[in-house]
Amino acid sequence: MRRNDSGLMFAKKKKNCPFKTSGFTDIDYKDIETLKLFITEKGKILPRRITGVSYYFQRKLKKAIKRARYVALLPFVAQE
Amino acid sequence: MKKLRKHLYEGMYILNATLSEESRKKALDKILSGITEKGGEIHKIHDQGRSKLAYEIHGKREGYYFLVYFSCPSLAMEEIWKEYHLHEDLIRFMTMRTNHVKETLEFKPLKQV
Repeated sequence: MRRNDSGLMFAKKKKNCPFKTSGFTDIDYKDIETLKLFITEKGKILPRRITGVSYYFQRKLKKAIKRARYVALLPFVAQE
Repeated sequence: MKKLRKHLYEGMYILNATLSEESRKKALDKILSGITEKGGEIHKIHDQGRSKLAYEIHGKREGYYFLVYFSCPSLAMEEIWKEYHLHEDLIRFMTMRTNHVKETLEFKPLKQV
């Protein structure tokens, strides 16, 4: 719970994990279309506080993105 | 002597895209025969075709992707890797353990983001 400027309490809206709600069991490094949703334009991995991914799937996502980068499916640093 | 355990692996290979169809076939055969010679078994080969690399590797901008599912004794993997490093047309490779063979490479989309 936090307080806003007027001193009223408000609850932080909870985000749902997109992988849990879609019924994923694992994240494949070959599934680039899904992985692309969780990186920035420059190719950085988005933090889960923004995307709402659960801790369990963020770890799987991290591994999948790094594997995809190694086989040149995703860039390490996107060129402008 | 202990019996060697076989494991299921998934290998992704990026071949030189400038090769002709014949020499590409030869290069792939070299990879596959390396596995079978060491007592491995090929289960499935996915030809993913030519595609642009996300970044340049050794001055190359395009590559030809192959995905191979195979089972192999774990001790033979090191020797297989050594062969890959000597392979001239192989730009990059990655092998890892998997639990099952994927017959199709289709993925279901996310419901919401």
